[in-house]
Amino acid sequence: MSQTTLRSWLDERLPLADLIQTLRHKTIPHHRHSAWYYFGGVTLFLFGIQVGTGALLLLYYRPSASEAYESVQFITARVPFGWLIRSIHAWAANLMVAGAFAHFFSVLFLHAYRRPRELTWMSGVLLLLLTLGFGFTGYLLPWNEVSFFATRVGTDIATGVPIVGDSLVRFMRGGDDVTGATLTRLFGFHVAILPAITTALVGLHLLLVQRHGMSVPPSVERRSVDDPTALRSMPFLPHFLLRDLFAWTAVLALMAALATFYPWELGTKADAFAPAPAGIRPEWYFLWAFETLKYVPPSIAGIDGESLAVVTMGLAALGVLLLPFLAGHTPKAHRLILWVGVATLGFMTLMTALSLAGTAP
Amino acid sequence: MKRSLTILGLLWFALLAAKADAQTLTADATAAFEDDVHASAGLTCVACHQDQATSGEQFQTPPRTAIAPMCATCHSDATYMNRFNPQVRVDQFLEYQTSTHGRQMAAGEARVATCTDCHGAHGVKRVADPRSPVFPLNVTLTCARCHGDAERMKLFGHTAAPPADWAASVHAAALLERGDTSAPTCATCHGSHGAVPPGVSSVANVCAQCHIREAELFRASPKRDIFEAIGQAECLACHNNHKIEQPADAWVGLEEGTVCALCHDETGDSAETIRAIRRDLDLLSATMAEADATITRAEQAGMLLDDGRTALRDAREHQVQSHVLVHGFAAPPFSERATAGIASAQRAQEAGDAALEELQARRRGLAIATLLILAFLVTLGLKIRRLSWNA
Amino acid sequence: MASDSGRRSILNWLLGLWGTGVCGAVLYPVTRYLAPPDLPEAASQSVSAGSAQALLPNTGRIVPFGSRPAIVVRTATGELRAFSATCTHLDCTVQYRPDLHRIWCACHNGEYDLNGRNVAGPPPRPLEAFDVNVKDDEIVIARSS
Repeated sequence: MSQTTLRSWLDERLPLADLIQTLRHKTIPHHRHSAWYYFGGVTLFLFGIQVGTGALLLLYYRPSASEAYESVQFITARVPFGWLIRSIHAWAANLMVAGAFAHFFSVLFLHAYRRPRELTWMSGVLLLLLTLGFGFTGYLLPWNEVSFFATRVGTDIATGVPIVGDSLVRFMRGGDDVTGATLTRLFGFHVAILPAITTALVGLHLLLVQRHGMSVPPSVERRSVDDPTALRSMPFLPHFLLRDLFAWTAVLALMAALATFYPWELGTKADAFAPAPAGIRPEWYFLWAFETLKYVPPSIAGIDGESLAVVTMGLAALGVLLLPFLAGHTPKAHRLILWVGVATLGFMTLMTALSLAGTAP
Repeated sequence: MKRSLTILGLLWFALLAAKADAQTLTADATAAFEDDVHASAGLTCVACHQDQATSGEQFQTPPRTAIAPMCATCHSDATYMNRFNPQVRVDQFLEYQTSTHGRQMAAGEARVATCTDCHGAHGVKRVADPRSPVFPLNVTLTCARCHGDAERMKLFGHTAAPPADWAASVHAAALLERGDTSAPTCATCHGSHGAVPPGVSSVANVCAQCHIREAELFRASPKRDIFEAIGQAECLACHNNHKIEQPADAWVGLEEGTVCALCHDETGDSAETIRAIRRDLDLLSATMAEADATITRAEQAGMLLDDGRTALRDAREHQVQSHVLVHGFAAPPFSERATAGIASAQRAQEAGDAALEELQARRRGLAIATLLILAFLVTLGLKIRRLSWNA
Repeated sequence: MASDSGRRSILNWLLGLWGTGVCGAVLYPVTRYLAPPDLPEAASQSVSAGSAQALLPNTGRIVPFGSRPAIVVRTATGELRAFSATCTHLDCTVQYRPDLHRIWCACHNGEYDLNGRNVAGPPPRPLEAFDVNVKDDEIVIARSS
């Protein structure tokens, strides 16, 4: 069959022509800040890498306390290119969290949460939280000393939630302490529950992005009134897509280099009865919260300090989720959002740095 | 009486920090006796202090020369001891009488050890009780109270070196640092109740209890007859009696400072054997060290080397056995084992080298992949630039 | 214009070439990864210990089990027993002594009975026992659960 008959055969059955037509007409705004548009796609690409490498790891990994560590060792030492798949999975996880945060902050600073993109924003915030959830649940799976104790410390934070705190901890751990039951449970979350929810939300998120197109920042819109060159339209096919492909391929090269020159370590097998080694801490993207809780006084106006801090963080997260409905629409309001965002980013960076300095060997 | 009191007083000061002091003060003695194996058996003060009819009065301390015979009235009576512990030995006094301590005491020299010096007087515990001064982990400290006291030892024409020498030995390290109660203490070689300096011909029999392979090899070698002829104690000639240190490969050789050079020199056919053994030992050790370094480097770079570590472990086994086979003092059984060890170490080295090679291969693979990706990116970049989209 | 389209087709051709190369660089490791390695699973929980027929009564055999040695013994009455072959005294590898009907350590003359219990010499603890099974003449030893 020649190419055109193949195409017409498919077109009769699938809405290919409509799809290509839509994509042919799709344009992406091009302005001084449009470089930030790539971060969403990069995060999506990394998610795809995670699903792919994750599925490959699933062929050899065993989610039980007596076999998990040995199976990861087997993958790293005996399976051909197992070292590569495993290290890429570990590095891409961190890159994906970084990418998700970059995407989040750039959308915040470019005010892309405004009407009519409220649902896009909210699904995105949930996706960010899911990404953190993936990181947290995946971290325990190699069942080594560092991840075991980091999980224990991390789940301890949930005790700070008032009323439901202890039940929440039991829910996360599958018991009162971190055991093989925790491993099984977090594994289930990591490979089934979270991917299912994420796939649905990513689908929604992409659908909405397609529906509404890329948001143009208000400052650019204002500038384009006087200077038309400040805001131009780039066709999606092939120009933007090729640039997207460029970014994704560059990320691929970066991951391969990281996996080769900085392979992810195996560590020592977790031993529940050994004392926690010094300097135990959760993954870097949780450090800011971990460190903040250290500075909170034990009690504030008669209320337990840690509970208050956790509740405050929860309320802040809720505020972020509902931002489109809470934020103002004037340039002044936008400036306020910008400075609050910068302050938050600064705070998180400062706390992370302090945590790293404090637990440095 | 006065002399007894003076000596007791001297002993008291000497044993001040010890667990088995005579507790001459009634209050201390009474308190200590509450946790005493004799008290648990239902005995009271008068069982030993037979000179006082009623308790509550100050008891006289028995004269030192009378202590052992007094203990023996029960502890040598098999029928009596059977009531308390059918398995316990009843020949301690007999043994004591053959010992240096016993013979001196019988001759009236009271400055030597008797029952209460080692076992205590009022807080006597079972030997198996970790608080007992004669518990395996404590017994060397008990002996050292006198035998490590230079002043006291000078009176008898001895040095106080043995306890300190023993404390520097591998056996002391095994016992005190690793808690290995199979390690020999003073009593193991010298006996406890029948303590004598072991005869030159017999101390090696004690070593042979645990170091059986070395003893078998030695006794099958020419050295045994030679040592017997020149009056050398087998093991002690090279390994010392108290300060038994970790042997080193460097002990074998003909240069100054080696153990062989104490008797051997360049002449005679043994020189060739000695040199061959040293050569093999050095080669084995060097090959193992090199393999270990390579494997560690590979591990630090992220590689996993179970096979290498197993081969190194095998090499270590062969090395241990080679060291044992040195005691055959001949090339054949030793050199086979050393060669096997070198082969294992070489296998470990190969595993390490293979891992490092694999690392390089990965980097080469990455270089190729990166070049492909870069070529792709450059070409893509060119295409993107060519495509103008002014709109 | 002709040279322009010529350049474009060269560029596209090169793009296709490098693109295939990149795809190959991705697919090659993935394909190799999918093929199971020679030893299909980590030998940490169980391992093959050789032929059952070849292990005569009153003999022992040392086999590697993970990174440490294991000893499998056929007693004089024909039963199979398996233990860790690392002496609990100072880590030497033990061996079977047919004359003693015991497991023996050459380093310091330690002895274990055929239940792994330390019965003579320095060893402070028994040898760890493993489960033994025979499948088609192959002895399989596994860590006790």
